Amino acid sequence: MTTIPIPPTSDRSPVEALSERLGEPRWMREARLAALDLADRLPAPSPTEEAWRRTDPALFDDSAARPDPSVVCGPREAPALPPGVIFSTLPEALRSHPDLVREHFMRAVRPEESRFRARHAAWCTGGTFLYVPAGVEVAVPLRSEIWIQTAGVAVFPHTLVIAEPGSRVTLIEAFGSMAGPWPAMVNAVVELIVRDGAVVRYIAHQDWLADVRALGVIRGRLARDAALHTLLVGFGGSVVKTDVEALLEGPGASAEMLGAFFGTDGQHFDIHTLQEHRAPSTLSDLLYKNAVRDRARSIFAGMIRVHPRAQKTNAFQANRNLILSAGAKADSIPNLEIMANDLRCTHGSATSRLSEEQLFYLMSRGLRRVDAVRMVVEGFFAELLDRVPLADVREAISQDVDRKMVQ
Amino acid sequence: MATTNQLGIDVEKYKYGFFEPENYIYKARKGLNAEVVAMISQMKGEPDWMRAFRLHAYEAFLAKPMPTWGADLSTINFDDIYYYIKPTEKPAESWEELPEEIKRTYDRLGIPEAERKFLAGVGAQYESEVVYHNLKEEWERLGVIFLDTDSALREHPDLVREYFGTVVPPEDNKFAALNSAVWSGGSFVYVPAGVKVDIPLQAYFRINARNVGQFERTLIICEPGSYVHYVEGCTAPVYTTDSLHSAVVEIIVKEGARCRYTTIQNWSTNVYNLVTKRAVAYRDATMEWIDGNLGSKITMKYPSVYMLEPGARAEILSVAFAGAGQHPDPGGKVIHAAPHTQSVIVSKSISKDGGRAGYRGLVKIYPGAKGSRSAVRCDALILDERSRSDTYPTMEIDEEDVSITHEATVSKVSDEQLFYLMSRGIKEDEAMNMIVRGFVEPIVKELPLEYAVELNRLIALEMEGSVG
Repeated sequence: MTTIPIPPTSDRSPVEALSERLGEPRWMREARLAALDLADRLPAPSPTEEAWRRTDPALFDDSAARPDPSVVCGPREAPALPPGVIFSTLPEALRSHPDLVREHFMRAVRPEESRFRARHAAWCTGGTFLYVPAGVEVAVPLRSEIWIQTAGVAVFPHTLVIAEPGSRVTLIEAFGSMAGPWPAMVNAVVELIVRDGAVVRYIAHQDWLADVRALGVIRGRLARDAALHTLLVGFGGSVVKTDVEALLEGPGASAEMLGAFFGTDGQHFDIHTLQEHRAPSTLSDLLYKNAVRDRARSIFAGMIRVHPRAQKTNAFQANRNLILSAGAKADSIPNLEIMANDLRCTHGSATSRLSEEQLFYLMSRGLRRVDAVRMVVEGFFAELLDRVPLADVREAISQDVDRKMVQ
Repeated sequence: MATTNQLGIDVEKYKYGFFEPENYIYKARKGLNAEVVAMISQMKGEPDWMRAFRLHAYEAFLAKPMPTWGADLSTINFDDIYYYIKPTEKPAESWEELPEEIKRTYDRLGIPEAERKFLAGVGAQYESEVVYHNLKEEWERLGVIFLDTDSALREHPDLVREYFGTVVPPEDNKFAALNSAVWSGGSFVYVPAGVKVDIPLQAYFRINARNVGQFERTLIICEPGSYVHYVEGCTAPVYTTDSLHSAVVEIIVKEGARCRYTTIQNWSTNVYNLVTKRAVAYRDATMEWIDGNLGSKITMKYPSVYMLEPGARAEILSVAFAGAGQHPDPGGKVIHAAPHTQSVIVSKSISKDGGRAGYRGLVKIYPGAKGSRSAVRCDALILDERSRSDTYPTMEIDEEDVSITHEATVSKVSDEQLFYLMSRGIKEDEAMNMIVRGFVEPIVKELPLEYAVELNRLIALEMEGSVG
């Protein structure tokens, strides 16, 4: 296997070699090199910044890792698709539809936002490209995966979804790895472009079984009357720091944001969400549920920002945390910045332990304590799963919950 | 006139808008250095430990960075502030001994009326020293001490030394360090074990010179089983240059004691109000902060309660009102460091005319604080499309056996409510006024009567012209 270590300084040749190997057009190579320079110029994130106060940015130092473009990143199968739909790996799309990629790649998420974003733009190792033409409805959920089976690699997967006006599509991405104590680094970017009246459902099902440190952003841009449903499921990895953002840019846009995280042992989940209302009559509804056990720690930091003139906005944000054992920690930071007045905006956060009453009730019906606990935890996530209209996804998540319970 | 306030808005405006010519015995120069700090200490004839404390704090002030979060503090010029002004030689024994112009100031603020209503003692802070202090005789008999902090340092040096700076150390933050270096005035309250002070103790604060920093230092000690309600009210005349108010309040609530601290703050809209207020609560003790923030240009004030022993309780009620050019950033912190501790935070904020109001808070549950409960509720009302509301709560929970909830809502005045009231023949401005008063009612009802009346009047004043 030919993988290339990431040099700590801006040696351009490894990036050129990566681009060469992926057979990329010249503009892409130049964009990578520009991002590489930018990564060197941008300041390193500091633990004193609010976004990094609870997760040490040094944990994501990727200079010792090797970026590996042979890590599986892309569509899992190729179902029969309606005409005009493009569903391929990102390098394939660069060859077959370079203009489409060029128009959208690293536009919703920009390299200049931070050093990590710039490094992603420089080192992007592959990913998924999905384009749905206007008015086309893709009936079956599409699936792609990122699968790591090598120690010491750094993966920079990029997902780009463009849903043209009036289209509908569902994309389920699975993030997984071989089990084991070996390390890997992930710096992912997901860009979801949802045009007028389009409906996109994006599900990220993350279940790293190795010592994976993952950093990433999922950002949706919603045009007029567009709808975006995101579901983030996080069970694996040692340190996971993800930003999930919905930018409601067109009137009538709506975003549903769901998240379920279950941390055990020393797992660390730091999730930042953003509901950004830039247009009137927009709706966002967020529910994140985190369960923590052992020495695990979950952080939910949510922001609802309503811009001036984004009147008639409805924005809801709820965070529920379940602490399953002493030593586990759950932080909740639900923020609001409201600059319009004709709106309805609420947030709620609740953190509690297992209810002894519920356990007692179940045990009095003859269940062993361990089964009673499992039922309560399943019930905790059920409220969220009930909102996912995909039976197989619900089933897969409940199985993961069960597995985590007996770990 | 836009409102139908029976007292007449113009009178109120006049009442709070006057100022007296400056006529002070001594006026320090602007700016701060170690010499000024030492001079303040010498002028006050303080013991060596206090001078050392001040100088130490001054170093901490220099070393500490400005806060990079919260409101914009970049326009504060520390060199353009008088750090110490002494209005009279010594505190007056009675009302009659006060200088005429100071008396006039207080007459207009209504202090003698309050006194006539048998309110406890009046500590009136005119500039940087408490000039008038009156304590009801029966409390002296009970052993309650209610003095300005400078006098307390002279008369009860051991008590002051035992507790001073133990709750808010100078290193806590830049503004606590500044206060520790140059503090002057403030109240000292000592309530002996088992004594319940059933009438609120009151102190009126007042800034009355351009660019005067007010750095009062309040220390309240509640011995086991005691109770006291301390009321701090602030009004300031309107000035054109920015003023800095940076107080430190330290409260110790011992076993089974209860302390309630009420603030109605109405600084004029050029004042930076950067205050560190903190209480420690021991076994089964109760600490209550009631905080009304109406005036000031910027307020950053997060009254906090450290619950150090089992059964301690904390309650923080906060009202913020932001009008044009105002950015109150109040909040509260509750630290659960022992089992079976309970806290409640209720915050209500109103913003209008481009103002920006909010809540910033912390709920911290340390490992081992089993059975702790905390409930936080923040409601915001935004009265027009130019105004802004922020909510920044933080919950850090390191213990399993807890119940923590947080809720917040942001909304406008509902058209249905307005319509209902107006269909009953109430004019729109008065209806709006009633709705806003209803919104803050849960906090107003916790205030002593005179303050509830004053807060309602102030809100009516702020609401004037809000319906057009």
